[in-house]
Amino acid sequence: MRGGPRVAALALPATVLVCVVMVAPLLLLFRYSLNRYSPTELMVAAFTGANYLAAVTDPYYRSVLASTLWVAGLSTLLTLLLGFPPAYALARMQGRWKSWTTLLVVFPLMVGNVVRAAGWMMLLGNSGVVNTALQATGLFAGSIQLMYTPFAVVLGIVTVVLPYMILTLASVIEGIPRNVEEAAANLGASPARVFRRVVLPLALPGVVAGCALVFILCMNAYSTPVLLGGPRFKMMAPAVYDQFVRTTNWPFGAALAFILLAVTLILTLAGSALLQRRIRA
Amino acid sequence: MISRRSLLGAAAAAATIPAISPARADGGQVVVSTWGGDYADLLAVNVEKPILDPKGIEIIHDINSSDARKTKLIAEKMSRRGSMDVVHLSDTDMYQMAKLGVFEDVPAASVPNLAEVLQPLRMPYAIPHIFSAQLLVYNPDKVDQPKSFTDFLDPKYKGRVGIPDLNYSVVTMGMALAAGGSMSNWEPAKKILMDLKKNEPRLYPSHEDLVQGLKSGEIWLAPEWLAREFMWKKSGVNLARVVPTEGAIPVIFQASVPKNAQNKANAWAYLDAMLNAKAQLGFADRMGYGPTVTDATLPLSLEQGIGFTPAEEAKFKTPDYEYQAAQLPAILDFWNKDFKG
Repeated sequence: MRGGPRVAALALPATVLVCVVMVAPLLLLFRYSLNRYSPTELMVAAFTGANYLAAVTDPYYRSVLASTLWVAGLSTLLTLLLGFPPAYALARMQGRWKSWTTLLVVFPLMVGNVVRAAGWMMLLGNSGVVNTALQATGLFAGSIQLMYTPFAVVLGIVTVVLPYMILTLASVIEGIPRNVEEAAANLGASPARVFRRVVLPLALPGVVAGCALVFILCMNAYSTPVLLGGPRFKMMAPAVYDQFVRTTNWPFGAALAFILLAVTLILTLAGSALLQRRIRA
Repeated sequence: MISRRSLLGAAAAAATIPAISPARADGGQVVVSTWGGDYADLLAVNVEKPILDPKGIEIIHDINSSDARKTKLIAEKMSRRGSMDVVHLSDTDMYQMAKLGVFEDVPAASVPNLAEVLQPLRMPYAIPHIFSAQLLVYNPDKVDQPKSFTDFLDPKYKGRVGIPDLNYSVVTMGMALAAGGSMSNWEPAKKILMDLKKNEPRLYPSHEDLVQGLKSGEIWLAPEWLAREFMWKKSGVNLARVVPTEGAIPVIFQASVPKNAQNKANAWAYLDAMLNAKAQLGFADRMGYGPTVTDATLPLSLEQGIGFTPAEEAKFKTPDYEYQAAQLPAILDFWNKDFKG
């Protein structure tokens, strides 16, 4: 291929940029994670794996990682279930309605996560809209604790990541010819069977991409668990922030960040590989 | 120790470049790294416009959070040319940074108003700007006046005690005092905090959330800053306050000048202006924090709202900063894992 080097040269500026703004800080952060922490000197140069060992052996951080995993897993699953029908509808939509609907799907992304969480706080608080409405029905005298619960966190995260899932799925479903579905229906398959045997298998690449994207976003969620989960509910990203900011323990914070990165990467790759195998089968 | 090279990346990430006006004032510039919002507005109205503008000093605000400021101080530590001339931080953060040797000692000759500073608030490396203290705040319709931090353990207040999560250190200090500890011994706090946990206190991520709890009747009493109680009461929340028998624990917001500041003379002039009696009264009325100088006399109504009696001041429990700096990581660990867990 004579154009090979020239084509590769086109990727050079972007590659250099990624190396400078992403890889270099990551390397620096990794170096920090091998340092030692002292409450008075803050960071003491060292080459030790003690921070990693402390993080993986401490039951507290294991439980923080576990809650991060189940929140991310559940949120990804719910997002997939809630996102597939609108994604299908969007993909099959024609004309100007399609662009308006796409805009509506993207619309929540124009509002910051913190602002959206503030909206949920107004709805879910003990004196919030939901509790006030329940009290007005006369069914409940007191208030139901909705804020500062894992339920609020999952709800908040799902609404943040849903547009990503819908758009990813819709772009893949659009590529599935309508006449394939019609042929299946013509041969007597029920709509449910058409979905199960035709649409879903063909949309699996979109499911893989959507789930991977959403899972990564959920694993790294910061503002939603802080604002809706309250002080008692901890996920990894807020735990990393606490180490950097509240105790200025950069080495331990960096180690936690790399553990989060590694777990997210391994699970995303493993999940994607598993689904890809399904596709090939 | 942290080397310049090892922190180069952090410096690049953390440094924000303050907006610099092209026209230099006759008296030169001063870069003030501070909080935004009311605090920056009040600095402009009470300190900068009336005192420093006439001297021709151009003020550049470098607005950021305490954490960003601390990171910048650490990152710029080895640099000869620092980006900040005046740094504002709370007493706890300031001590932690002072231990790293990043601040100049405040020269009395360049800051004449230093002579007026209340004796217990004096530090060699910083001036105290405003202060408040942790008290017991309660709903007088629901609670008979509490006396001590031990009242939080009373079964009749089960589920009705609010704790501001951000104040974990000062709450720990109060509980340590109640359990027979001291400002230099927080160990007894652990047991009493675990006893408090059994009384199911509600933890709030911010002071704003806590006051919503007080307002709605979700909680009835809490340890809080006097300044907060004053402002909330002013906005109509039904509250009362009392200094606990253990004593009030002050929080001081301070200002320092980094060793690598580029405009030191103006920085000292800025610190002196912050201690000006008239400037301090402006902060007291709008933010509820007390003046730190003897020549700022509060009007009687304000004095009743945010002042302390001499007897209360005598019982102030100032943090043992060295002990605090060494203990904070461990106590946060305990707070997160055991008390909240």
